[in-house]
Amino acid sequence: MQFFIDNFDILRDAFLQTLLLTVLSGVLALVLGVVLATMRVSPIPPLRGLATFYVETFRNTPLTVVFFFVIFGLPQIDTVVSFFTGAVIAVGMYTAAFVAEAVRSGINSVSPGQAEAARALGLGFGQSLREVVLPQAFRTVVPPLGSVFIAMAKNTSIAAGFSVSELSSTLPRLVNANAGDLLVVLLAVVIGYMIITVPMAYAVNRLERRVAILR
Amino acid sequence: MTSAATGEPLVELSGVNKWFGDLHVLQDVDLTIARGEVVVVIGPSGSGKSTLCRTINRLESIDQGRITIDGTPLPEEGKALAALRSDVGMVFQSFNLFAHKTILENVTLGPVKVRGKGKAEAEKRARELLDRVGVGHQADKVPAQLSGGQQQRVAIARALAMDPKVMLFDEPTSALDPEMINEVLEVMTSLARDGMTMVVVTHEMGFARRAANRVVFMDAGRIVESSDPETFFTAPTSDRAKDFLSKILNH
Amino acid sequence: MRLTKYAAAAAAFGVVLAGCSSEAGNQAAQESDNAPEVAQDVEFEAGTTMAELAEAGTITIGTKYDQPGFGLLNPSGVPEGFDVEIGKIIAAQLGIEEDQIEFVETVSANRESFIQNGQVDLVIATYTINDARKQLVDFAGPYYEAGQDIMVAAGNPEGIEGPDDLAGKNVCSVEGSTPAQNIRDNYPEATLTLFDVYSKCADALTNGQVDAVTTDNVILTGLVAGNPDGFELVGNPFTQEPYGIGLTLGDTEFRDFVNDVLEESFEDGSWAAAWDATAGQITGEPAPEPPSVDRY
Repeated sequence: MQFFIDNFDILRDAFLQTLLLTVLSGVLALVLGVVLATMRVSPIPPLRGLATFYVETFRNTPLTVVFFFVIFGLPQIDTVVSFFTGAVIAVGMYTAAFVAEAVRSGINSVSPGQAEAARALGLGFGQSLREVVLPQAFRTVVPPLGSVFIAMAKNTSIAAGFSVSELSSTLPRLVNANAGDLLVVLLAVVIGYMIITVPMAYAVNRLERRVAILR
Repeated sequence: MTSAATGEPLVELSGVNKWFGDLHVLQDVDLTIARGEVVVVIGPSGSGKSTLCRTINRLESIDQGRITIDGTPLPEEGKALAALRSDVGMVFQSFNLFAHKTILENVTLGPVKVRGKGKAEAEKRARELLDRVGVGHQADKVPAQLSGGQQQRVAIARALAMDPKVMLFDEPTSALDPEMINEVLEVMTSLARDGMTMVVVTHEMGFARRAANRVVFMDAGRIVESSDPETFFTAPTSDRAKDFLSKILNH
Repeated sequence: MRLTKYAAAAAAFGVVLAGCSSEAGNQAAQESDNAPEVAQDVEFEAGTTMAELAEAGTITIGTKYDQPGFGLLNPSGVPEGFDVEIGKIIAAQLGIEEDQIEFVETVSANRESFIQNGQVDLVIATYTINDARKQLVDFAGPYYEAGQDIMVAAGNPEGIEGPDDLAGKNVCSVEGSTPAQNIRDNYPEATLTLFDVYSKCADALTNGQVDAVTTDNVILTGLVAGNPDGFELVGNPFTQEPYGIGLTLGDTEFRDFVNDVLEESFEDGSWAAAWDATAGQITGEPAPEPPSVDRY
């Protein structure tokens, strides 16, 4: 208990960094992921190709390499971002590929007749997606998207290796300063992540049940 | 019997060809549909009649030829195509009502999002149309709660809400249980009587006799015969039409 | 476009690996003629740790695997460096052959728990002796005295001569390390950038994302050796980091034995030979005076 009191400031600040990193990367991943999924089902071949290339590149590259690229690669072509911004970009862009795949499979689960009927009414491609296809895709997409975002919350820990003082970065620091309390330090960090991920899992469950009733 | 067509061409197809891979599904199709005319397209399955119907609002693209609606050539993409489609009503074999929206929302979506009508005005008009097709009391349900016949009548109301210049029906009764076919055909017959320009792909010969100005018979991607219903059903000229009629009329 | 960047990144990574391995290979070549002579027919008082180890004929030693000159895994998976050589000297006095030593990797965060749980018999891993750690483990040695120093870009564009010049500057170190804590506690006006390994600090210094890198001088020397055109050492150590050998708290007999072995190696030249074959290859300087053992 004394450990928690002594190190409360460090743990709180680190927790807030992880939370902020999770929220900002999550927003970036969701927006970019939906745009990419839209591009992948669009009638314009170059957009489809671009989105496919993006998704395959990021899905098949380890997140640590993406981090390396953003943090140390971009400055080599004169694009310097702060370490925190770099972490948001790396986690967000990486996760967007997984969001795009989940949303795309949701879109594909909607019968093509729905989009045809929308287009036959005179709705444009974007309107058809927004008004007809995506709301229906959303129902099948909630559980896989939930998994993607929970994985993302934990993936933010990679940022510890790239100068972001988030939760995992307190592990070496606090263990080194409190060598006898290794298990307590671990417990504190695990609790920090669970404060973020458990409510996420709960929200996904609730949402899943809510949209299921609408069917 | 039916209101007379004015004679002025509304939909014109000339020299239309389409291939699915090696399969030549539409071969040199020429067809002119006059304003107010009701054209029933019949033919054996695989004859290309559904494909023909779907090319008129470009749900299927064509490889050669030209299609105009009210004098305007069909645009290939984008806003112009969407605008043109909004003037062409379409009723599908499998209804395709928007599964996540109520019956009323299904009918108001087009007017509000495409025509920019106010919500209240669109709803008032939607309720009138739903009453007209006999499902006004179902307005707040979702499609899955309705029978097939009711859903198809909603689909007709949805298309009518856009005040289309022409209505396309792609086998509108083929997915229905027999006892529900008539309720849909009655709505279509009354539409025809009110002077709507219609292209109807169907196997319902009774409807063709009763409501059509003209019957178009297709086989193997070609228009083989085109004449008024009386002539077509009593004195078909081609062997293939005779053969087709003998098979279905003996049923 | 993106692909080319990745290819470039991958190529760069490969070069770094190649650089490390050739360096390590040189060390290996030097080491082979430097094996300490293994004592025969050793006798220890029954019940002591020495007797147990000699009887078993094997010893487990924790060391670092990522510290050039001190403990670095070579391409064949064998650790090499000054810490490793010290381990061999101690093992030899227990009558244990070199190939009977089991090396395991320890990192800064797990050294105490490895000793406390008996997962290792000794930790020789650039392990600074300090009072907090003395509460948890016993230290033999020191066998080397390092000091915290600063590495800057070649030409020292920011004019950093010592820790007081770090105020307002962006300085890089590794999270959880003693040097990082020292900056936090004593030079709070410096902005800390903390990675998990020092190689990333070197990358950040190359990119100009940080102005300086700080840690023990021996580690910085290894980094400068890797890129002599890009980096330079300020050469003004401002702390004393006595490296000790960690062992179980309260095992005084074993601690005295290790201290005896160290003092012997200081005198008979085997300590200096070990330095010349390993860390000395990187600093390019002859072995310094050995420190004096602290029997606290």
